[in-house]
Amino acid sequence: MKKEDTVKLISSDGFEFIVDKEAAMVSQTIRNMLTSPGSFAERQHGEVTFPEISTTILEKICQYFYWHLEFASGKDREFPIEPELTLELMMAANYLHT
Amino acid sequence: MDMYIRIKRDKTTYFIRCKPSDKILDIKEKLQELIDQPVNDQRLILPGTGEVLEDAKTLADQKIETDAVVALTLRKDDNEFEEVNIVRPNDFYQTRDAEGGNW
Repeated sequence: MKKEDTVKLISSDGFEFIVDKEAAMVSQTIRNMLTSPGSFAERQHGEVTFPEISTTILEKICQYFYWHLEFASGKDREFPIEPELTLELMMAANYLHT
Repeated sequence: MDMYIRIKRDKTTYFIRCKPSDKILDIKEKLQELIDQPVNDQRLILPGTGEVLEDAKTLADQKIETDAVVALTLRKDDNEFEEVNIVRPNDFYQTRDAEGGNW
């Protein structure tokens, strides 16, 4: 696991989640930020800040990325979502094209 | 992909892909790449019980499953390890705790 293969996702209150790029790219929005040529600062630093996503939601999203990879490799495990997170999670998922 | 664990210290969480047969030492070596701290200066602890995870044991030995949270502590300047310190976000969890207190 190389540092260059990871990306740091930062929540609205400054919590940091270090995930594999492959996992983060489950999100089409993050994929675009990390792969489009040109000047996205995100691409150079391997860091993306989400001022509008709270820590709990961002962690849930990261868990979802990995759940997605597990699922793609044939593991069938339920993805738990607490009811109180549902609305905010849907809004974040919509923004991230996830 | 077999599984992943969440390694937490302070306000940072590392998502680490791994296998049940990986030894704790393997996990520390993966972390070393990310945090520039040698394996000997890392200590991994189960946050629930406070149990220190031994290098030679595997994740399966320690009953660590996918999505588990493991605390990371680092050696301080005085050669001792720091205490477990995981900062919880105070968005959703706090409201839940507050509700619990009223019941």
